[in-house]
Amino acid sequence: MKDFITKKGIYIAIAAVVIAIIAAVSVAISGGRGDLASMLSQPFFRPLRSAMTALVDSLESIYNYMYSYDEMEAENQELRNRVAELEEEYREYTQMSQEVDRLRELLGFSETREELKFTPVSVISWTASNFASSFTISRGSNAGIELYDAVVTSTGYLVGQVTGVTASSATVTTILDTTMSIGARVYESGGTGVAQGDFQLFLDNKLKMAYLSEDDEIIIGDTVVTSGEGGLFPSDLVIGYVESLVASDSGLEDYAIIRPAADINGVTDVYVVTETAIGGTEVR
Amino acid sequence: MGKRQNRVLLKIIIVVPYMLVLYIFQSMVFPYLKIAGVSPLLLPLAVAGAALFNGRVAGGVIGIFAGVLCDLSFNHSTIVFTVFLAVAGVLLGAVCDSVLVKGFPSYLLCCICLLFLCGFVQMFPLVFLHGVPVLPLMGVVLRQTLYSIFFTIPIYYMARFVSRVI
Repeated sequence: MKDFITKKGIYIAIAAVVIAIIAAVSVAISGGRGDLASMLSQPFFRPLRSAMTALVDSLESIYNYMYSYDEMEAENQELRNRVAELEEEYREYTQMSQEVDRLRELLGFSETREELKFTPVSVISWTASNFASSFTISRGSNAGIELYDAVVTSTGYLVGQVTGVTASSATVTTILDTTMSIGARVYESGGTGVAQGDFQLFLDNKLKMAYLSEDDEIIIGDTVVTSGEGGLFPSDLVIGYVESLVASDSGLEDYAIIRPAADINGVTDVYVVTETAIGGTEVR
Repeated sequence: MGKRQNRVLLKIIIVVPYMLVLYIFQSMVFPYLKIAGVSPLLLPLAVAGAALFNGRVAGGVIGIFAGVLCDLSFNHSTIVFTVFLAVAGVLLGAVCDSVLVKGFPSYLLCCICLLFLCGFVQMFPLVFLHGVPVLPLMGVVLRQTLYSIFFTIPIYYMARFVSRVI
């Protein structure tokens, strides 16, 4: 070692001086912000360091993901349940809102017709027959529903009549059915007639008003209401509106085509008129 | 439980759901899926199947069952279809036993005849009691029959399967 230093000492000293000078110069150039080794190594190690950092970050995120997966899954499930609950609440709210609207309409109508008592029912099913228009409702004689009770919408538009009753359900034949005949009156002119189902019109969701008097002045758009004659239907329930007038050669068979006020085929909730008290006397 | 009782129970287990499925489709599904203003009749197709594959007795029994369900689906307070489909099942079964070969063409023929007869049974009260003109009624009968014919293919295979059990 002593020989090595003795023989090579001069070279080592020169090298040390050169390195010291270069280091001093580089420090002077960089303003004291780094040393030569770091300056030389940065171009090589920076990409490597960046890659290593990215790799570590990825590994860390994978580790975190695996570590917290169960927790995230539980949270996800909880959120799904919450969304389902909120959707259910929204559906209920929508249904309740619709029900409130209907009841509000009915309240408005029932305030004008205090002599009538209404029982709310739902439509369960429609007839499968292509020759009739009837449906089954969710309540029957247990709810006070009786044969020939009138059935209306929440706005008081006539839908039909109860034609069959069991304890827990009833059959309603609509005003479009060929078998239906209702004593009717034109609200504007006071002319009377019979609103009845007609098979050809039934296919177009309409009915006709027959037995019109020649003196009646009926105009398209006039409102047709129940006359109350016969006692089967309360008076002044809106049946529909005059859509057109059909004249026969003799004038004896003139009739008006009526468009029902209620959306007969679209009703889902209707009201059965279970009591019709006129002047304090209950009539059916 | 004896073999005979087991067999009767098996028949009931197979036939009742088969008829109920047809009833549900006829009365609760297709009234909302009308084409050209009509919905199809499915229960008479089951009667035609029973009559063709199993003869007059099965035709009659299935006819009664299908008739009751038809009257229910039509909101009828009468038993028109119960009587009609029972009689039709027996008569069709007798014809099938003696004349027709058991196959789809025979089944289709039976179905078309039965569907037209059902249509006529439905329109007669309107013609005779309410004076409805025949022509528009015939139009509905025709459309109803055509729509129902679409369902002969699936119901043929269902009826054939059921016939092998009963």
